[in-house]
Amino acid sequence: MPRALLALLMLVALPLWAAEPRDLAWSEMIPPDAPAEVPNMKPLHDLSQMGDALAAESAPAAKQDMPNAPVVQSLDGLSVRLPGYIVPLEVSEEGRTTEFLLVPYFGACIHVPPPPSNQIVHVKSEVGVKLDELYQPYWIEGPMQVKASTSDIADAGYQMEAQKIYVYELQE
Amino acid sequence: MYLFRLAMASLANRRFTAILTAFAIALSVCLLLAVERVRTEARASFASTISGTDLIVGARSGSVNLLLYSVFRIGNATNNIRWDSFEHFANSPKVKWAIPISLGDSHRGYRVMGTTEAYFEHYQYGHQQNLQLASGREFASDPFEVVLGAEVAEALHYKLGDKLVLAHGVAAISLVKHDDKPFTVVGILKRTGTPVDRTLHISLGGMEAIHIDWHNGVPAQGSGRISADQARNMDLTPQAITAFMLGLNSKIATFAVQREINEYRGEPMLAILPGVALQELWSLMGTAEKALFVVSLFVVLTGLIGMLTAILTSLNERRREMAILRSVGARPWHIATLLVLEAFALALFGVLAGLGLLYLGIALAQGYVQSTYGLYLPLAWPSEYEWTLLGGILIAALLMGSVPAWRAYRQSLADGLSIRL
Repeated sequence: MPRALLALLMLVALPLWAAEPRDLAWSEMIPPDAPAEVPNMKPLHDLSQMGDALAAESAPAAKQDMPNAPVVQSLDGLSVRLPGYIVPLEVSEEGRTTEFLLVPYFGACIHVPPPPSNQIVHVKSEVGVKLDELYQPYWIEGPMQVKASTSDIADAGYQMEAQKIYVYELQE
Repeated sequence: MYLFRLAMASLANRRFTAILTAFAIALSVCLLLAVERVRTEARASFASTISGTDLIVGARSGSVNLLLYSVFRIGNATNNIRWDSFEHFANSPKVKWAIPISLGDSHRGYRVMGTTEAYFEHYQYGHQQNLQLASGREFASDPFEVVLGAEVAEALHYKLGDKLVLAHGVAAISLVKHDDKPFTVVGILKRTGTPVDRTLHISLGGMEAIHIDWHNGVPAQGSGRISADQARNMDLTPQAITAFMLGLNSKIATFAVQREINEYRGEPMLAILPGVALQELWSLMGTAEKALFVVSLFVVLTGLIGMLTAILTSLNERRREMAILRSVGARPWHIATLLVLEAFALALFGVLAGLGLLYLGIALAQGYVQSTYGLYLPLAWPSEYEWTLLGGILIAALLMGSVPAWRAYRQSLADGLSIRL
C-alpha cells in the first residue's frame, strides 16, 4: 500500500516538476558561437592621457560596445527563472515597478560600458514589484521571448512577461 | 450591553476629563493619519507625473536634481545645454521622439516652460496617458502663444484669447517683466494632477523671442529694443535649452544611449532613467518619512498614556462607586469589563474625532496645499493601511484599559465600603 501511494505521488509530482521553470544563467544568453570579445588592454584610468583631456572633448562621441549583440534564438518560448537586478522604467501610482530592465550587475561602476544588449532583459509585470532599494537582486520567473535584430536600430534582445518576482537570497 | 451603557453614563459623569482625554487622542490620531496620507500622496503624485519617458537629459549635475527641475519644476538647472547637442541625439536612429525643455521664466509664481509640439504628442503621465486639451489648441507658428495648465487657468481666471505678460526669473513677485511682448492664451490643458497643471507652455521660439533683445543680463533700452512684430520676423531657433526627454525605439538600448550621452564629447551632459532617479529620491526621503512616522506613533502613545493616567487617577475616587456596584451584585469581572469598556470608548471617540479632524483639515487645506505644494490630498476613505493603524490604536487602548481593570478586579468589596481617610 505505501509503495502504491508513493508511486501515485510520483505520478502526480512528475508534471509538477516538468512545469518548474528552468534556471537560466546569464552566460547562457550569449550564443556560444558569438565572436570572442577582443580584450581591451588599455588601463581603465589612463592618467597618461590627462594632458589631452581637451582633445578628447573635441573628438567624436564614444561608440557603444556591441549595441546589437547576438542572441540565443533557442531560448524563445522557454519558461525560465533568472536572477538579476531591477532597473525600474515604469512606476505605478502605488509605487510598484511594472516595467523594468533586468541586468546581471548594477550600480555605481561607471568605469566599464553598460552590459551588451544580450545581457539585458526587458521585463513587464502585471502586478509589479515594490522596490525598496536598487541593490537588491530578484528572481524573475516567466516565459522568455527572443527578438532578433530587424534593422540597424539596436532593438534585438530578450523580453519576459514576469509571472513571479521574488527576492534573491544568497544560498548558504 | 448594560455594562456599555453604564460605562457611557460613568464617562458622561466625568465629561470634562473624558472630553479632554478623547481630544488628546483625537489630535494624535489626526497627526498620525495626516503624516501617513501626505506621505502616500506625495509618493503617488511623484510616481504618476512621468511615464513612458526613457531618458531625461540635462547639464551635468545630479540625477535627483535633474529629475526634480525638469519634471517636477522644483529647484533650478545648473546650466543649459546647446541646441546642437539636442539635435544630435534627437536625430539618432535609436531615438523615437525627443522633447526639448527650456525653463527659467515664470508668470505670477507659475513656471513657464518652452517646448515644442512634441511635448503634447509624446509626454505621458500617470498610466501612460497623453496630455489633452480642455479647450483651444496647441501653440502654433506664432511665437507669442501660450497653452496653460489647468490650475494656472483656474487660479488666475484666464480664458482663451486673454493676454498675459511673462516675468523674468521664477519669483512669485517679479520686478522684471517681459511686458513688451505679451502672450495670447490659445489653449488650456485638462487637469492631470501633476506639475503640468501649474505650468505655462510656450514654444521655444517664444522663449527665444522674449530674451532676444536682452544684453548683458538686462533688457535693451530705448532704440535697442526689439518689438514683438520685429521678433516675429527673426530667426528664433534657440541657442540653448535646459533639458530634454527621450523616448527610445528599444528599451534594451536605454543603457547604450545613456552611456553615449554621458560620454558625449560635445559638452558635458547627464542622462538619467526617470524610474531609477525616482527610486533614489525615495530612498533619500525614506529616512525622513520613517522619522516622521515614528514621531507620530509616539504622539499616539502619549495620548493613550494620558488616557491611562486619567482612568487610573479616577480609580481612587471611584472606590465607593465600585463598592456600591459590587454590593448590588456586580462581580469583579463586571467591574473589570466596565473599565476596559471605558478605555475603549474613550479611544473610539478619539479615533472618530481624529478622523473628523483629519477630513476637516483636508477640506480646509486642500486648495492651499495643491496650489502651493502641488500636492493633491483627496477626501478619500481611509486606506487599508490606515484602517490597520486605527485598529492598532483601538487594540492598544484595550490593552491599556486592562491595567486599571486588573487593579479594580483585585480590590475587595470591603476596600470601597470602609474608606480610610
